[in-house]
Amino acid sequence: MTQFLQQLSNGLVLGAMYGLIALGYTMVYGIIQLINFAHGDIFMLGAFGGLFAYNHWLPSSMQGHILIALPVCLIFGIAWSVLSAVIMERVAYRPLRNAPRLAPLITAIGVSAVIEEGTRLWYPGAKQPLDFPQLLPNGAFTVGGVRITWANVTVVVVAIVLMIALQTFVLKSSTGRAMRATAQDPDTAQLMGVDTNRVIVTTFALGAALAAVAGVLQGARLGTVRFDDGFVAGLKAFTAAVLGGIGNITGCVAGGFIIGIVEVMAIQYLPRGSGFKDLWAFVVLILVLVFKPTGLFGEEVATRA
Amino acid sequence: MISNLTDRLKQSAARTRESLRTVIRPRTRPLLGAAVVVLVIASVMPWAVSGVGYTTTFSGDLADAGLGGHRLYLLLVALLAATALAPQGNRRRIATISAISAVVITFFLFYKLWKTGGGSGAVGVGAWVAVVGTLALVLVADAMEASPPPRLPGFPAPVDLALLVAGIGGLLYAVVIGLNIDDEREFLSFAVFVGCAVAVMGAFGVTETFSRAFNRYRYVGYALSLVAAVAFPFTQNGNAVWMAVFARVGVFAAAAIGLNVVVGLAGLLDLGYIAFFGIGGYVSALFSNAIFTTVHVHLPFVLVLFMGAAAAGFFGVIVGAPTLRLRGDYLAIVTLGFGEIFRIVAINWPELTRGPNGIAGIPDLEIFGFNFGRPHDALGVPLPYQANYYFLDIVLIVFVMVVFARLNDSRIGRAWVAIREDEVAARAMGINTVAMKLLAFAIGATLAGGAGTINVHIGRAIEPNAYQFIFSALLLAAVVLGGMGTVPGAVLGATLLYAIPEKLRFVQDYRLFLFGLVLVLLMRFRPEGLIPSQRRQREFHDADSGADALGGPAEVATA
Repeated sequence: MTQFLQQLSNGLVLGAMYGLIALGYTMVYGIIQLINFAHGDIFMLGAFGGLFAYNHWLPSSMQGHILIALPVCLIFGIAWSVLSAVIMERVAYRPLRNAPRLAPLITAIGVSAVIEEGTRLWYPGAKQPLDFPQLLPNGAFTVGGVRITWANVTVVVVAIVLMIALQTFVLKSSTGRAMRATAQDPDTAQLMGVDTNRVIVTTFALGAALAAVAGVLQGARLGTVRFDDGFVAGLKAFTAAVLGGIGNITGCVAGGFIIGIVEVMAIQYLPRGSGFKDLWAFVVLILVLVFKPTGLFGEEVATRA
Repeated sequence: MISNLTDRLKQSAARTRESLRTVIRPRTRPLLGAAVVVLVIASVMPWAVSGVGYTTTFSGDLADAGLGGHRLYLLLVALLAATALAPQGNRRRIATISAISAVVITFFLFYKLWKTGGGSGAVGVGAWVAVVGTLALVLVADAMEASPPPRLPGFPAPVDLALLVAGIGGLLYAVVIGLNIDDEREFLSFAVFVGCAVAVMGAFGVTETFSRAFNRYRYVGYALSLVAAVAFPFTQNGNAVWMAVFARVGVFAAAAIGLNVVVGLAGLLDLGYIAFFGIGGYVSALFSNAIFTTVHVHLPFVLVLFMGAAAAGFFGVIVGAPTLRLRGDYLAIVTLGFGEIFRIVAINWPELTRGPNGIAGIPDLEIFGFNFGRPHDALGVPLPYQANYYFLDIVLIVFVMVVFARLNDSRIGRAWVAIREDEVAARAMGINTVAMKLLAFAIGATLAGGAGTINVHIGRAIEPNAYQFIFSALLLAAVVLGGMGTVPGAVLGATLLYAIPEKLRFVQDYRLFLFGLVLVLLMRFRPEGLIPSQRRQREFHDADSGADALGGPAEVATA
């Protein structure tokens, strides 16, 4: 039982990551019905942006102070991801807004390859996995036999705060309202004075910022980053988005936690668990699509963003 | 503030460009002539200074006057540019294309000379003159007025047939010449020149006439292509290097045609296609008594071929049946997931697949007593054993092409196109859309499985990591580059994407990056590919069309 609870807590941490990434998929899909395959790579870019800032711009005297180093890494990671996402939208996706649907999907695969390979080729040393600095608090405490590290607590708290902030933003702010209007009916939204181009860029930027936070946290948690980290993480996050009902923010977060917990439990309790750990997300994806293609929360259109 | 600044910069750049154009426009002909003359002179001048850094790294002695190495191709490009002076043809297109080609050749060589020589001291006078001529050509091309493409009259049969022979023969000749260029950088210049020549012929309407002739005498055209493909091994003088490459290319081309059934005809995006290829491969590796097999049964290859194809088709149905009911985007992601599942299972099931090490020691093929591992002599020309596989590939490709063509012209093919254009309307017309999509998906998977069984015999080993997602993306890039929905397109795309990196070893590391870039740029500027199907071309360039490739009207905002 203790083992189960221990794994549950680990699953929550993993799920928080997937949820953060999945929000980018779900928001973009909600607005322009595009599966942005390159979103996983935006997550990876966030980690590399934070790493670069830490190694090259942060004075070495400050590198030990988590309260300074973590925000610096987050800010530069976010900046790098958002910049990449905005350029990607502007250069690759926007010109294809009215093209047949196959076209932006194929472009998305191309963009993904460009980002991954570009990082591998031109980030110094990125052909090997790179060490990621220790940015999260040390130490742990025990509750009922379950050991919980402060690092994991930080990750989950940051993720949940961001998710609530995003939900509030989408529901309460005028930009959020514009996003929901665009998701519902872009033409009408435009007639009502919504600058849909700006809304779409904002959506990409928001998703990229959340993915960047996930990237930095993931790097700090595992202590290593690789140029192709984004591929599998992105796929699992997409599964989380579909599981929750694509276009739905609450569902997306729930989907993230479910996928995270399923993965951790499968590693613990199934034979050859760690070898097959990347497999279960896809199995869940296929099962969801067969039995409930709208996802768990798919009907709730009001919170679509 | 930054956007303000970039706007101002953009405006002033546009103003400068406009004023340059007004100056040049009335004098394009003499200025173009002058640029050509400058380039011709530059290409016979010495480009390098002997003794400074350079000499041995470039073929053709660039330090001497005369035509050597890259300079020959610059001269040819300059002559192509001169054809813009002809009364007919799309002058602006000719000038633009040759200007781009000249820029690539000149500046690439200039940069290489500068870098190897360690500065401007190593760059000879010819290179500087060429830079001047190239820039002049760029300015003239920019100022030229576009003219409508020429409408060529229909030609009598002998002219059409001669054109077919010349075109296909010329292609084979260009391939042979290109492969014989040993210097990679010179090959790049050669490739630029060939591309330029084809594009200039396009501007004169020659390529259009060629494709019209091909359509008119389709069987003659295919027969000539077949002859050229069979003749290719005889041009290699027993050299195995390129036969080995093209034996692989042939398999990928066959797989690309199969993928084209799924993507090009039915409009379904299959991102796990390489997994079906891999399933065929594993079946073949296991049942052909490879050294590391885990099954220890040796079945005749023809049987294994069908088994591999059937296994892949079976999995195609398993994956496709549940997901093809949903919107097209989900199919993309599920097939992607399936591709990963295949790889993960192959890695983690060592009892069957020997895990990450894969199955090595796959024997050579033997069909009806003919051993593919032995070199042969034919018509007095020695053929390395790889040529056997190459010929087998041709048989496979012909078979796949026939399947493709028959399907395309059938009721099924029309149903697929209808689904691709508008799924709802297709269903309303009484088409069983799910069954039709499943059929396309399964046929694609089956063809991939069949091609996969041959592939592992060529490589003599199979390992899971040769079946990563990126290779599905690569095959997709081949289909998109060549032209979705056409057979020659898929073959051309596969050949370009697999053979050129073999020739240009220095781009090997950049290969995947460049493929990604090719995908993005193609979708932006030429979504119908190099050899478009006429239907596709209209679809992509019809501004009023709201129809989209995966069914349903486009729901996206008009920006």
